[in-house]
Amino acid sequence: MAAWLLIMLALPLAAAAAGAVVGDRPAAGRLSVAAATGSFAAALVVVFADDVIRGRHALGNTFFLDGLSGVFLIAVAFVYAVVAAYSVGYLHPGIGHIRLRRWYWPLLNVFGFALLATPVVANLGVLWVAVELTTVVSALLVTAEGSDESLEAGWKYIVIGSAGLAIGLLGIVLIYAAGVPSLGDSYTPTYTTLAHTAPNLNGPLVRAGFAFVLVGFGTKVGLVPMHAWLPDAHSEGPSPVSAMLSGALLAAALYAVLRLGAVTQRAVGPTYVHVLLLVFGGLSLLLAALFVLRQNNYKRLLAYSSIEHMGIVSLGLGIGGPIAAYGAFLHVIVHAAGKTLAFFGAGGLLSRYETRDADEVRGVIRLAPFTGIMVLLGALAITGMPPFGLFRSELLIVTGGFSHSRYALAGLLVLLVNVAFVGVYQVFHRMVVSPVHDIPGNRARLSRREQPLMAVAMLASLAVVLVLGLWIPSPLNRLLHAAATVIGGRV
Amino acid sequence: MTPAPHYDFVHATAALIAISALLSGLALLAVKQVHEQVRVYAVLSAFAAGYTLLVGVNRGDAALIVLAAWTAVIKVIVIPVSIDRAVTRQVSEHEVPLVVQVPMSLLIGVTLAGLAYWSAAALPIHAALLPAPALGMPLSLVLIGFFFMITRQNVISQIVGLLTLENGVFVATVAIAPGLPFAIGFLLLLDLLPAVLFYGVFARLIAARAKTTSIEDMSVLRG
Repeated sequence: MAAWLLIMLALPLAAAAAGAVVGDRPAAGRLSVAAATGSFAAALVVVFADDVIRGRHALGNTFFLDGLSGVFLIAVAFVYAVVAAYSVGYLHPGIGHIRLRRWYWPLLNVFGFALLATPVVANLGVLWVAVELTTVVSALLVTAEGSDESLEAGWKYIVIGSAGLAIGLLGIVLIYAAGVPSLGDSYTPTYTTLAHTAPNLNGPLVRAGFAFVLVGFGTKVGLVPMHAWLPDAHSEGPSPVSAMLSGALLAAALYAVLRLGAVTQRAVGPTYVHVLLLVFGGLSLLLAALFVLRQNNYKRLLAYSSIEHMGIVSLGLGIGGPIAAYGAFLHVIVHAAGKTLAFFGAGGLLSRYETRDADEVRGVIRLAPFTGIMVLLGALAITGMPPFGLFRSELLIVTGGFSHSRYALAGLLVLLVNVAFVGVYQVFHRMVVSPVHDIPGNRARLSRREQPLMAVAMLASLAVVLVLGLWIPSPLNRLLHAAATVIGGRV
Repeated sequence: MTPAPHYDFVHATAALIAISALLSGLALLAVKQVHEQVRVYAVLSAFAAGYTLLVGVNRGDAALIVLAAWTAVIKVIVIPVSIDRAVTRQVSEHEVPLVVQVPMSLLIGVTLAGLAYWSAAALPIHAALLPAPALGMPLSLVLIGFFFMITRQNVISQIVGLLTLENGVFVATVAIAPGLPFAIGFLLLLDLLPAVLFYGVFARLIAARAKTTSIEDMSVLRG
């Protein structure tokens, strides 16, 4: 396992170094796609070829993998791979308007490295460093288009994200301090060390620590009310970066919350963790569902949809029990694929219509049928329509709610998900299907075919979100059960 | 009758540093000029470095002593001087527009410090050398840093607020987890990251915004 882990992490770093040397040449893109695809393959080998679901260390105490890590690793590795492929087309002249071309590939690959490292490092301090590294590189990527709006978005992201992570660090320090009486003054804060000593940890300190962790890392997850950076960064960043932020970064930050939540749950019981997740998840779902109703900027709409989905996952885990937790973890994977598809589609719209205003986008299905279909399917996928995976995962969370007699929560979830469906789908439907009488702008640009790798990335995302709605492969099923055991309780 | 706590020179010095750091945090709220805000931050960082040195010497911990020296170099000298030279001399305005005026800011700052001490008193933990409640002063700095960030409409002031908040987390780590072995590594990184971000994005911001550091007009993105 260790060798594959090292390959998985080394490939993006090698691609970043190569990109820094090669510069703005096609070779940098090709190397990055190869590295990201290789990392994804290595991640699959790590998660499925070795029996990680019982929890395994590798290279001493350097790495740790269990079901929880596996779920998040698959999600971020997949998003990194398809984003790299999509970016090759997006950076093609005349498509994406990226000014930071020289450093795009090195930054994207370092971003990929940090995201891949987050779910596999054993030391909680290193986990924090990995998440902090994602802020550094992704903030610069958000500003890659060089517009005033993207600079504003990048600035807000840096300030709010860094403040949040400082709070998250304080949370980790408090949890570390909670272990000092039983583990000694100087110990390595790995998950397994803390989990094994959990009953002896100082309860009030663990509670306080987890509250700081949830607020701090929750800022990066985009949980309300710490979400202020997210709509700006997601809407103003280049579309492949938006996909990476939404599909992978939010998940990686959520992983940090849940890893420390698992320690807290063992130390003080599940109720405290569940209640906090319910409160923040419920607030996020509520606010996002209301905000999508008034959005006319389609990328911003997808950003609020991301807040909604992080709310759904938090709510699912807060409901507790194996069914809702299984659904929440499935939701992490299918949301990663579905939202990636949606942002790829939005990138296709933006490159053609050169506006984020949905009112100015019409007749996509007639002018660019492939993009139109992808946009529409992406919208249906992220709004939880059958047969897509998000329908399945949301249904499991609601079922888990009912099985735990959380009728009000399950009912609220159903209601708000439907509100969000109305808000998201009607905008995308209008853009794609509404007839267009006078073609706005340059017809050749509007009806341009997708670059091959952009199309491949979209189809791959579509395949994942569709297939997982219909069938869950047995190894993934075992992995999801194992993840649910870590934080949701035994199946 | 409870015996009076015993204070030796080291504990008394630590208490003095803690009070001085808290007062520096509050002083930040009273300063309008960008240059002076940066200098107050440097003073605050000097207290953070001094406390780290004290804990390091008291524990005989060479790593903490190195950390104190590093903190002094980076936070007391490099970051403030860099901000002063590379940024504030290039921009036209030096007085920061305030969302909340100075008297009210100070009042809110004192209230936040009181809230921090009250909250910290509920946590059953002892700090290295610091008087109880252990996390009172660090949490005060965190809250004051937050408040400073959101009420100062200037990029440099927001950086100073973020670094003040970070100083609070730094002192908290040294106080309650001085043995955290990895702390040395990631705290050093934490020190450097805002500076990296600062140069990466802010340099472009200045170029794009005609040499102004005000963020009053950074409100295009709403809703």
